[in-house]
Amino acid sequence: MENKTKIRIDGLSFFYNDYRVLNNITVSFPKNTITAIVGPSGKGKTTFLMILNRLWESIPKARMEGSVKIRFDGGFHKIYDPSYPLSRLRRLVGMVFQVPNPLPMSIYKNVAFPLKLAGLKDKNLISEKVETALKSAFLWEEVKDRLRDNAFGLSGGQQQRLCIARVLTLEPQILLLDEPTSSLDASAGAVIEELMTNLKDRCTLLMVSHYLDQVKRIADTVLELSDGKLIDYQIVSGKKL
Amino acid sequence: MMGRVLQKVGTGFSWICAILLLGTVFCMVGYLVINGLSTINITLIFGETDPMDALLFRKQVFDGLFPAIIGTFALVALSVSFAVPIGLAAGIYMAEYCRGTLKKVFSLFFDVLAGIPSIVVGLFGFSVAIFLHKYFSSKIYPCLFISALSLAFLVLPYLIRTTQISLENLPEGIRRTAPALGATKLQNIFYVMIPRSLSGIASGVILSIGRCAEDTAVIMLTGVVATSGVPKSVFSNYEALPFYIYYISSQYSDKQELLSGYGAAIILLVICGLLFMAAFFVKHRLTHHALYRP
Repeated sequence: MENKTKIRIDGLSFFYNDYRVLNNITVSFPKNTITAIVGPSGKGKTTFLMILNRLWESIPKARMEGSVKIRFDGGFHKIYDPSYPLSRLRRLVGMVFQVPNPLPMSIYKNVAFPLKLAGLKDKNLISEKVETALKSAFLWEEVKDRLRDNAFGLSGGQQQRLCIARVLTLEPQILLLDEPTSSLDASAGAVIEELMTNLKDRCTLLMVSHYLDQVKRIADTVLELSDGKLIDYQIVSGKKL
Repeated sequence: MMGRVLQKVGTGFSWICAILLLGTVFCMVGYLVINGLSTINITLIFGETDPMDALLFRKQVFDGLFPAIIGTFALVALSVSFAVPIGLAAGIYMAEYCRGTLKKVFSLFFDVLAGIPSIVVGLFGFSVAIFLHKYFSSKIYPCLFISALSLAFLVLPYLIRTTQISLENLPEGIRRTAPALGATKLQNIFYVMIPRSLSGIASGVILSIGRCAEDTAVIMLTGVVATSGVPKSVFSNYEALPFYIYYISSQYSDKQELLSGYGAAIILLVICGLLFMAAFFVKHRLTHHALYRP
């Protein structure tokens, strides 16, 4: 159904130098779902994610063909239109990386950082948003008494949740996660999985994953990429969209 | 078998090089200290003038090193304050904005600039002084200002290079963190990349400080004199320690004067040491503050 589609990709091809990484992919993602992107390593899955927030544009000699449209504010917008500001796109499409990358600041400042970038000055509002984000990331209880501590003092799982909280302060509509649990142990990973399921009602999530049981547990749809081509796109058995 | 012998030879060679280097430094400093330490006293620095009067600039010092010490400090302060903003900005430009053929061309120019002999830079400064004197104001002569500009010119390539390399060596993960959160390029540079590269940038600044304090060829052609007292303004002549050492050692009339040259050399080393320590302290505070501020 048309009004359930959040992302529409048409004829997407991607080249590093002249090497073709993604080959003519056409797919649509429904909103408020978790889509898992699976396939052999190094074959373009992270690149596919970066297409959606245009983060690949700082890489020299990278080239893209095709169109990507995302449904914001009631209509579909071509996100590669030069008139669409990059910083605004990246506030609507958030990204979480495989290895947690907290900035060398306090926990509070880390989570408040995107708000500072966006120019928000109201300290009370910032404080509120930081608390909301940390609660959404299931981290508030663990850090509420040590918000001024250095973020590097947190465990790996906590750091990853901090990075998720950081991205959530901007209230993104799409969340891109690149193997979010692969650098974490099983119990930390389980918390992240629960967190992602919880975020579904607010965001559309796209996650690259190598863990097929994780995919079965939390994903609604699965996109299989191999050699840059779309092999398969289907609803995970037992799930309803 | 051969591998182990080679390894021992390599290690032994490294040790010899290190000992040679350290030994040379110790010999030089030791020679200076043995010969010059005896001359270091209040008279060497302040001459016949009362130290308090001299320090508060109430009276001129005529036969002491005090004006040269002040001149060296003023020179270093001025030239570093010219060179650092420009070097930093150029380094950021080269690392983040410049691409392709233009980058190669600029790289070449900066390398050439780094290779220019200091005497040529001094000649250039002198020519600039003459040009300004002729076409702008006949009150402009070689002076502290011209020397500082020329010294800035001398150290600029090092500042640009260290800034550029520090920024370029940041890992990809750090470079992408802020943009993924909606930062513009400039925000990424100022909030994330520069604080992370402060260590490298500060090292470049420390190098420049040392270079400005010790250079003699440039200042000889651009305004340093043997006796002028404490510089009255940036457009006046001034004295400097490296120049004092130079002319004392080429024109001394008795042994005492030569020994005072050694004393001046020790003082210059001490000043450089103090400047380095101050710079390291600032570097430590900056990196500590920028990275761990709660």
